[in-house]
Amino acid sequence: MSSWYTQHGKNSDVIITSRIRLARNISGIPFNSRLNAEEQKQIKERVKSAICDSNTPYAKTLKFIDMNDVPENECYAMVERHIISPEFAQNRQNKAIIISEDESVCVMIGEEDHIRIQVLYSGLELEKAYDIAERIDSFLGDTLHFAFDEKLGYLTQCPTNLGTGLRASVMLHLPLLESTREISLIADSVSKIGFTVRGMYGEGTESAASLYQLSNQITLGISERDALKNLTAITMQIVEKELSLRNSANRTLLEDKICRAYGILKNARVISTKEMMQLTSMIKLGISMGIIDIDSSVPIRILIECQPHSLMRKCGICDADERDINRAITIRNLLE
Amino acid sequence: MKCENCGINTATTHIKKVINGVVTEQHLCQACAAKTGYSTFGSNSLASMLASVFGDASSAYLSPSTKKCDQCGCSFSDIVNSGVVGCSSCYTAFYDELLPYLKRIHGSVTHIGKIPNRAPLSVLNEKTEIELLRAQLSDVIIKEEFEKAAEIRDRIRQLERQGDNNE
Repeated sequence: MSSWYTQHGKNSDVIITSRIRLARNISGIPFNSRLNAEEQKQIKERVKSAICDSNTPYAKTLKFIDMNDVPENECYAMVERHIISPEFAQNRQNKAIIISEDESVCVMIGEEDHIRIQVLYSGLELEKAYDIAERIDSFLGDTLHFAFDEKLGYLTQCPTNLGTGLRASVMLHLPLLESTREISLIADSVSKIGFTVRGMYGEGTESAASLYQLSNQITLGISERDALKNLTAITMQIVEKELSLRNSANRTLLEDKICRAYGILKNARVISTKEMMQLTSMIKLGISMGIIDIDSSVPIRILIECQPHSLMRKCGICDADERDINRAITIRNLLE
Repeated sequence: MKCENCGINTATTHIKKVINGVVTEQHLCQACAAKTGYSTFGSNSLASMLASVFGDASSAYLSPSTKKCDQCGCSFSDIVNSGVVGCSSCYTAFYDELLPYLKRIHGSVTHIGKIPNRAPLSVLNEKTEIELLRAQLSDVIIKEEFEKAAEIRDRIRQLERQGDNNE
């Protein structure tokens, strides 16, 4: 089965992914920072048993992976595929994931909270992703009994997740809003109403491939559906702004930039991660504007499969110079 | 790269500010960054992020409370210092202490989302003015009326405060 990022999602010319994450903790057990190795192991076994020994479709479709058994490079390749967080990959002792074949559903055990249920889809699919996460949550909650308070909702290790424990986010491709610097104004206005915009790769509001993540910050005092509705509304406004800038931009100049990027990617023999990201962002824009005629999933495949660890997963462990050569080969193959 | 301030040490702290869309950059060494007030970027970003939410951490020491959570032994200053809560019972033990911080983080202190199957039915809320305002909030966000959205948000917070005081 192909991965989530090779699928064609709704509004995927601007919205790359929709992600839902629910934070949950098992009632009666201290939060992760106060657990010893033995207790962490017990949680791992309890969650594994709740899913894998259940008489449900989950037992057949989700696979348990003990992070202790995963080689370091593969862990960081998972980070590059947005399956796990960098923090989760860094310290893998007594951690585990339970994951679907296409990697769109991933239950992380031993993250900041005992359990984090993550659902990731291509395009704008927040509602669909939430429905799946919610079903897994209800199923797990019936067996494991999650810490819940009438007033404060689901109890989490960090008070910023209290209430619904829901962090919903969309990854957006915003090259025009970035070049006109409007993205920082947007980041500023959405922060006033409980949302955050940050660059996907890089510091603050800068991003190598014009990829930005928009997510909700408030989890207490708002229902899951309202949080998703608000996030969707803001997302669509940003999408419209980006698309109208694309329409009103100087087409010849943009076409020139896009076609030059395409030319380099098709012909380069050595290419760094940074250059790959900048140029791939341009061809993604080119496809969406009808300037380049290739499969629309190709740019995202390049962006993920040409990251250092994902590359080494395919070509074997190698140094940066060799990776730059392997990256150029992989890009040329994907563009053929 | 040398520090822009002293010109001697290597710049290790890079500050980027975006004010009204204008980006300015500053590259400082650790000592000069500390003088300018950028010394708090610790290794534990979560704790430092939360510490900023908790504000002046020293306030936790002002109250001589030696109260500890009877489940995990965590004290309130442990929570403020680490940025994380020890166990679910801490939320009951330090409910009053945490409340002002939760308000600052979320603007509300009452959960209105999903209720697990095991929770008692009494938790279910009735439709209140707050809920109507929340619906309005969604509408004005769709219309991009962010100023109005901020007003409605403030009204919701005000009502919630009243609700808490009445309890």
